Amino acid sequence: MLRQLRAALGVGVVTEPPAPASEIEALGVTLRGEIARLFGRSLHIRQVDAGSCNGCEIEISGLTGPHYDLERFGLHFVASPRHADCLLVTGPVTRNMAEALRRTWEATPDPKLVIAVGDCSRDGGIFAGSYAIAGGVADVIPVDAVILGCPPSPKALLAGLLDAMGRLRQ
Amino acid sequence: MSRVAYSVAAALGALAAMIGISGLLGDTWVVTVPWAVPLGGLQLSMDRLAGFFVALIGFATIPVSLYAIGYAGDDRRGALPYVGFVIAMCAVPLAANVMTFAVAWELMALASYLLVVQKATNGTATHPGAPAADGSESHDASPHAGGRHAHDAAEATGAAWTYAVMAHAGFVCLLAGMLLLSAWSGSTRFADWRDTELTPLARDAVFVLLALGFASKAGVIPLHVWLPLAHPAAPSHVSALMSGVMIKLGVYGLFRVSLEWIGPAPAWWGVAILVAGTISAVVGVLYALVEHDLKRLLAFHSIENVGIILIGLGAGVLFLESGLGTLAVLGIAAALYHTANHAAFKGLLFLGAGAVVRSTGTRNMEVMGGLVKRMPWTAAMFLLGAVAISALPPLNGFVSEWLTFQALLQSLQVPHTGIGLVFVGGMAGLALTGGLAMACFVKAFGVTFLALPRSEAARSAVEAPGWMRLGMALLAFACVALGLGPTIVVPVLGLVAGDLTGEVTPLWFGDWLRLDVPGDFASLSTFAIAIALLVAGIVPLVVLRARGLTRRRVYETWGCGRLLQTSRMQYTATAFASPFRRIFDFLYQPAHALHVEAHPESRFFVDAIRYVHETRAVAEDWLYHPLSQALHDVTERIRGVQSGSTNVYLVYILAALVLMLVLG
Ligand code: SF4
Repeated sequence: MLRQLRAALGVGVVTEPPAPASEIEALGVTLRGEIARLFGRSLHIRQVDAGSCNGCEIEISGLTGPHYDLERFGLHFVASPRHADCLLVTGPVTRNMAEALRRTWEATPDPKLVIAVGDCSRDGGIFAGSYAIAGGVADVIPVDAVILGCPPSPKALLAGLLDAMGRLRQ
Repeated sequence: MSRVAYSVAAALGALAAMIGISGLLGDTWVVTVPWAVPLGGLQLSMDRLAGFFVALIGFATIPVSLYAIGYAGDDRRGALPYVGFVIAMCAVPLAANVMTFAVAWELMALASYLLVVQKATNGTATHPGAPAADGSESHDASPHAGGRHAHDAAEATGAAWTYAVMAHAGFVCLLAGMLLLSAWSGSTRFADWRDTELTPLARDAVFVLLALGFASKAGVIPLHVWLPLAHPAAPSHVSALMSGVMIKLGVYGLFRVSLEWIGPAPAWWGVAILVAGTISAVVGVLYALVEHDLKRLLAFHSIENVGIILIGLGAGVLFLESGLGTLAVLGIAAALYHTANHAAFKGLLFLGAGAVVRSTGTRNMEVMGGLVKRMPWTAAMFLLGAVAISALPPLNGFVSEWLTFQALLQSLQVPHTGIGLVFVGGMAGLALTGGLAMACFVKAFGVTFLALPRSEAARSAVEAPGWMRLGMALLAFACVALGLGPTIVVPVLGLVAGDLTGEVTPLWFGDWLRLDVPGDFASLSTFAIAIALLVAGIVPLVVLRARGLTRRRVYETWGCGRLLQTSRMQYTATAFASPFRRIFDFLYQPAHALHVEAHPESRFFVDAIRYVHETRAVAEDWLYHPLSQALHDVTERIRGVQSGSTNVYLVYILAALVLMLVLG
């Protein structure tokens, strides 16, 4: 344990500087307004890892940290697609996950929103053409919006969500 | 033929219920038939306590016998002993002298012995080829089929043997105690015992003998060993009666002994009863938790519930000794209420278990599952029974456990600190028991009825026939009625308790909706709770409907996107009980064994995994085995006397003759 502690202290902070709080605040408040208008109260998100390298997940979990704290804007991550309004799918869809993703989509109650996250999710990204891949998310289930980046930053994720909301309104 | 016998039994039950009710309401009579049996003749007398138990037996017999019509079908074995069993049980609380009691008690034991041993004789088990219910938990991928018949027979023989030995050991204690009392008081009539002056030592000796005898019938730990063997071995309607009513007659005896025959009781009797009750309640439910044989699980719960009854009785005895008559009546009424309640819900649960066992051919919960779809009726009834036994409002188990708690909570009025501590122990034990019982029935219901079937037998299960459902429905109705009607039942039981203690009952008919505990201590309205629960269930439904949010989609169970969902992915009963097994391992003394058979080429290719887990029965290991071993050794030694040689026997006769002459 001491060794771990020493390593943690020796290395220090290595994450990139986060986006300024004011920008997050502004984005978040708009997002909350959109959510309130479209869903009444809040947006429940089920995150599905369809085969990602986990880079995208790290950024997504950054959203739940104290700096971004997305719950204050009415966004919640939930543990089952049965509780979700929105699927946040990361990574290329591997062959093993294709059916599971399809079932998750079926299990999500209508109306539902599917947002693909990361370059991989658009077309397989750097994994494109691999024998293990069924393609991008859109090859398996209908996608409403794609948030690009490898990985997209938390701020980009918030912006992407807002964008998806806007598109849903039209 | 069996149909006639069971119908007769049901009619007898109705008759007993009527007679019992009239006795319960204050009717008293004595019947004497001098020539029927020697030593005082056959004598029956009715008072409130006897009326209560006769009514209990009657009311339990009606639904159980109706159930038996469907359960036994054309199977004629056991029909006659069953009728005899019912009659003998009714006679026990009515018996007014030693001889009548002894005859009734022995008939009851004999008839129930015949019913337990019934499967050992001939006949067929319900479904040959169904998986066997093992005492130990062994988890094979494929439960072994066949051999069930022989297994059943061997099990029934062993169970009946243990039962016979325990019943007779208990009977010897009873008879010794009663004969001592008769000799000292000069009368074999129970009614005369009350006024006999006895030395404290003599009273204590008689109490110990009688209490041991009755406690072994009631299944108080550590005298319970016969119970988890005999209950499962008997057919389910018999189990329902044995557990619901017969063991209560042991409790009946304890009522008489500690309050009437040789009362007033000194404090240590009450302490002994309360402590024995607490231990039985906690240990009984702990054994039930790790049990995966459905009927054995219920049998252990009977031990637990007898413990709860004894907690109430012990509290009553202690209150009486401390001069708190009002509270004594409360404690005893609570004990009586729980006696009735246990007969209703345990009878119901045994009948439900019987329906399951009949249609799956096994008692092992690990190979059940998914029965709620195949046996919806039975499942609903079993669930109701499970809710009642878990003491959840508004059903009956809740009311009597609540009353017991109210009695215990008022122990602050007892001046003696040491006794106060015993009460605190009882309270803690009762609270722990309630929680564990609920956990146990989540397991019993969940593993048996929910999720996917774990075996072919469970998959092809069918609903129980009409007669069986009728029996269950009647008992379910009793559970609900006893839960909603405490304002009527409790005052009547207060009268019984008042008669026993010689106190004026503080529990009286008053408010129809609210039950008040004497001394402005607490009050309860199960009606209000029932209505609140109903409203809590209905209001959201109405609101949703009003808002038009009633769209439904039927879709398969969400399984995290898994392609294949089999019953092997389900929570098993063993897994459910595992945390409890770990916490209480000092009691279970568990032994684990994990066998992994790997492929010869690589240890990463596993052919089979076999996990065996056994919990040890502490009472058997530490008490009964040494005892039977010692007995065996002694008889081994004495056997030398019986050499088989005629010459030696002639010497014995001569020696005896000389001895007689010398002594004479
Ligand atoms: S987009 Fe980049 S970070 Fe996200 S899963 Fe693909 S490779 Fe990983």
